[in-house]
Amino acid sequence: MTTIDRPDTARPTFERALGRLLIGLTYVAVALLAIGVALMTAQGISPLSGGPRFDASRLPADLAAAAPAGFLWLGLLAIIAAPISRVAAAAIGYARTSDRAMVWVAIAILVVIAASIASAVIAS
Amino acid sequence: MLVGLVMLAGGATAGVFGSLLGLGGGILIVPLLTLVFGLDLREAVGVSLVSVIMTSSAAAGVYLERHVADLRLGMRLELFTAFGALLGGSIAFLLDERLLAILFAALLGYVAFTMARGARSASNAPREPAATDDETAAEASAHDGGPDPMPGVPAYEVRNLRLGQLGATGAGIASALLGVGGGIIKVPLMHLAMGVPLRVATATSNLMVGITAAASSVIYLLRGEIDPYVAGPTAIGVFLGATIGSRLAHRVDLRVLRWLFVVVLLYTAVQMLLKAVA
Repeated sequence: MTTIDRPDTARPTFERALGRLLIGLTYVAVALLAIGVALMTAQGISPLSGGPRFDASRLPADLAAAAPAGFLWLGLLAIIAAPISRVAAAAIGYARTSDRAMVWVAIAILVVIAASIASAVIAS
Repeated sequence: MLVGLVMLAGGATAGVFGSLLGLGGGILIVPLLTLVFGLDLREAVGVSLVSVIMTSSAAAGVYLERHVADLRLGMRLELFTAFGALLGGSIAFLLDERLLAILFAALLGYVAFTMARGARSASNAPREPAATDDETAAEASAHDGGPDPMPGVPAYEVRNLRLGQLGATGAGIASALLGVGGGIIKVPLMHLAMGVPLRVATATSNLMVGITAAASSVIYLLRGEIDPYVAGPTAIGVFLGATIGSRLAHRVDLRVLRWLFVVVLLYTAVQMLLKAVA
């Protein structure tokens, strides 16, 4: 039987900070998406009209021009970034508490995410 | 504009149902987008994944603040769900959409069966073992000023970690292929096989959903399978629906709702099968 210790006696205080980070990023994402949807509605764009493909280089220009796609893409990126940021922040938190094993686990998760991005970039 | 409102309302309905019944919204969003709005299955899966991340992140934040989720266990398993999601996200683009539709129909059938079994034995308890990505429990207690959950969580020792890692990989693959959170696999795995209390298993599964779906959604996003015009209204709808559902949870007769949902799931499964063979 493989076991790991239950950490309830020394729950790191940074867990609260991680929780706030997740909630905060979620609300930022909701706000950005809401702006994007409002702009879509104002400009009479149908959701089924086929949105533009993601292009990071166009994002600043779209945001400056108040194009719906800019806010929608930024909101979607914020959604995806929320759990990834949580893992990165956990790595820092565990490093501060000298929990090397968990730091490596966090780094390994981020490596897998990076591999996902790399595989998609190569495939596309 | 009407289509946008219908999409938002559809997402909200998925969020309400998902939250009341302890499911992630994905199991409803994918059929909604494919059968009602005629989207390709892969595109629906991409939109579903970001919607699932949004609802799970808000709830996971509450769970973490209240120390209900086991962060260490969650992260150890996340490594494997993320790896599974990387595999699943890549495989999804190699499979015929009809095969994906058949797999999704099978998933719907399985969830309907699980829910019917739970409904038969349930006595209107608000949360049942069939619950999967139960983001609403944390949200409900947060909104309603419920008690701090930790006192109610018994001491436990995690066992069968290797089995958990294997199951987590499978959950990641299923999540990436079908656009669901994968809690239907993770919660029973952690609770029954690994000895984790149900409440902690549910919270930890919810925490893991975010990184699992993030690993695969980046693949869908970068390969052009996420349409921002569809994802925006749908994700907002699901988020609003999940929030409303968490407030309604204690006022609704879940037995009736479960049976209604079983019928909806079975009907949807048949429609997905028909779509696959058409």
